[in-house]
Order: sequence, then structure tokens, then C-alpha cells
Amino acid sequence: MKLSAQPLEQRLRFAGILIILGLLIEAICVLWTRPIAFLVFVGFVGALFAAGILYYLYSLVSADTGSSN
Amino acid sequence: MALSDTLLLLLIGVSAVLIGVLVFRPDVTRTRRGKILAFCVLFLLPLVCAGMGTSYQIERSKRTEFCLSCHEMEPYGKSLRVDDPTYLAAAHFQNHRVPAEIACYTCHTNYAMFGGFRAKMHGLKHVYVHYLRTPPAPEAIRLYDPYNNRECLHCHEGARSFEEGAVHNADPNLLPAAKSNRMSCLSSGCHQVVHNVAELQKVKLWKVAQ
Repeated sequence: MKLSAQPLEQRLRFAGILIILGLLIEAICVLWTRPIAFLVFVGFVGALFAAGILYYLYSLVSADTGSSN
Repeated sequence: MALSDTLLLLLIGVSAVLIGVLVFRPDVTRTRRGKILAFCVLFLLPLVCAGMGTSYQIERSKRTEFCLSCHEMEPYGKSLRVDDPTYLAAAHFQNHRVPAEIACYTCHTNYAMFGGFRAKMHGLKHVYVHYLRTPPAPEAIRLYDPYNNRECLHCHEGARSFEEGAVHNADPNLLPAAKSNRMSCLSSGCHQVVHNVAELQKVKLWKVAQ
């Protein structure tokens, strides 16, 4: 159990870092009042959030698979 | 800074701090409470932040200063301050017939189904042309389609000044033709001066009361 917990924690950490990056760019887009901020928000923030959330969900699924095996 | 900006930044800050706790102390997820915390901050909070951020960005993109922040649009912004009531856009802006803070969007969105979505798609194209192509000269900018009376009628239809106006009723066929979009409000010789940016140098501007 402990062996599978370690990679899970690493994956959670990586998912967290992706989402924090997305939040950072989102904060910049709020303060940046140029039309390109809208594109940056849609492109980068959307991609980073999606990647972080999906990686988090994947880490849960793969951890479950690991423990059942 | 507006309240909505502050609230969104606060939410982003709180989310970042909570996620930071997980990044630096991932071992907290070994407990049941930690797992719930991880689900909230790695799944729910980013969804809330993304939703609020999207809503915020869409609302901001409707604002007049947002449209006028591109230099191609500067003459159009100037045309809103022309001191001449025959300038349609200026008369609407100065008399608050449209909300001054979302003046461009109010007239240039499409009041049909998915009109807001189409306006956003056009806006994305404008940003693309602005940054990656050569934007046209302000006086060469044209609408995608001829202006539809539906956008005027969205506010004016049923209004007494519109329905009972002497000029509108001089010809009994005029109002039905305007309402069915067979005769344009703009190109019919009635309200044809809209922005007229090519001749802005010749006109006097209204000094906005402070």
C-alpha cells in the first residue's frame, strides 16, 4: 500500500503544480486589460486546468488499479 | 479595482494556497479528510475558478473600453463624442439610449439565437487579425452583414417615440417595411450617418461633463 501511495502523491503534486500555473496565468489575465488576455485565458488557463484535473483523475484511477492488482 | 476583480483574485489566491498545501505536503492525502481536501482543491475549485474566470472575461469583453483598446477602434470611440445629433452612434451613446459602458456590444451584437456567441466568434477573429494580420484602416472596416433592423427594434419597437413619430408615420408603408427589415433604418436616407469616421476631423466633439 505504501509503495503505491508514493507515486500517487507525486502525481497529485504534479497535478497541483499544473493547476497553480493555470491560476497564476488566470490572475495575470484578470489584471491585464488587453484583448489578448482573453485568448491567453482561453488557451493557456483552459489547457492547464484541463491537464491538471485530468491528471488528478487519472492518478486516482491508476492508484485504484494498482491496489486492486 | 472593481469588486468582481477583487473577488476573483481572492478566490484564485485561496485556491492557490490550498493547492500549495497539497503540493508541499502531499502526505495529507493519506487520511480520509486529506482525500476530500484533494478532491475539492484539485477538482472542484479549478472548475469554479475556470467558470468564474470565463464569465469574468466574457463580461469584460463587452465593455466599451475593451473594444476601444485596439487602436483601429479609436476613431469609432471618438465618433461617440461627436457633437451632432444626426450622428446615430453619438446620439445613442451621449443620451444613454444604450448603456454607455457596453455601448459597442449593445448595438453590434445580434439579438437572434446564439447572437452573443456569434459576437464572441467575430471578436476572436478581430483579435487574430489585430495581432497576426494587417488590420484594415478604420474607415475601411465594414460590417460582416448589412445592419439588421432587428437590432434597432430590440429596443425601439413598441416605444411611443418610434411608433407614433411623425416622420415614421408620414408614409403608412414605412413602419411595416422597417419592421420586416425590407427597408433599412440606416441606409434609407433617415439614419444613414452612424460613425462616419472618415470625416471626424471636420466635426466638433462634445466635451463630456465631468
